[in-house]
Amino acid sequence: MRKLSWNRRGITPVLSSLLLTVIAVAGMSIAVSATYVITDGLHDNMGERLIVEDVWFTTGQVSLYLRNVGKVSIKVAAVYVNRTRQSFTSLELEENNHGWLNVTYSWSADSACEIKVVTRSGTNVVDYYMSPS
Amino acid sequence: MLWIITCRRLKRNQRGVSNIIVVVLSLVIILAIVSNIVLWNYEMNQVDWEKMRENVTITNVENVTYGFQFTFENNGGLTVHLVSLWIINSTDHQRYDISVFINSAATNNYLRDDIYFPTGNYTVKVVTERGNVAIYSGISN
Repeated sequence: MRKLSWNRRGITPVLSSLLLTVIAVAGMSIAVSATYVITDGLHDNMGERLIVEDVWFTTGQVSLYLRNVGKVSIKVAAVYVNRTRQSFTSLELEENNHGWLNVTYSWSADSACEIKVVTRSGTNVVDYYMSPS
Repeated sequence: MLWIITCRRLKRNQRGVSNIIVVVLSLVIILAIVSNIVLWNYEMNQVDWEKMRENVTITNVENVTYGFQFTFENNGGLTVHLVSLWIINSTDHQRYDISVFINSAATNNYLRDDIYFPTGNYTVKVVTERGNVAIYSGISN
């Protein structure tokens, strides 16, 4: 035991090997994490599909009934009516879920409105809807 | 003999091994990313292709003794799953959850006794699980 504690030859190669192993493992972990983050973002972007089932013009607001027909959950990030950003109630839809998205907008009767819904991942659904007379 | 000598030389000479390991690991990571994206893209293309092949129509809406009967026709090449039914008039937008499967080239009658039907002009809409919409307009007394 004493011999071993006095004899310190060969410690440097062990330490260097250990350090190299730690660096290699850390590097691989970073690479794998980066891979996961990149592919996860692309998954979200490619897997989003959204449809507008119905649009209902009521006093001071436009309600859109949205359905998630994609493979990932979606969150509405912005709504534009006639290319102007409008305030709206927060909406997050899981796969195959559906719900109302209420947009505050003072619409005028008998006019076409361009409504664009943009999700957090950048998918957008845009169409024209006629307001009632 | 020559083969054995070459193998021994290769075993002794370990320069360049780390480079090979780095290249192999990088290739594994790149392959994982590319295959993941390609497979996912293929799956989503399949979803879009199926959506494009759907063709469902509402051929009739009728007030019968026990409620309202809707006639749906599937003219597409795939089985259709209807998930939403909308009854819309100028003042109200009613939505009903439904689950109706219609085979390819088939016609299906769907009866509902719990639907409030508005008088005057109305629009009936059905939505499929893949995201297509069929619309029917009529006038009720």
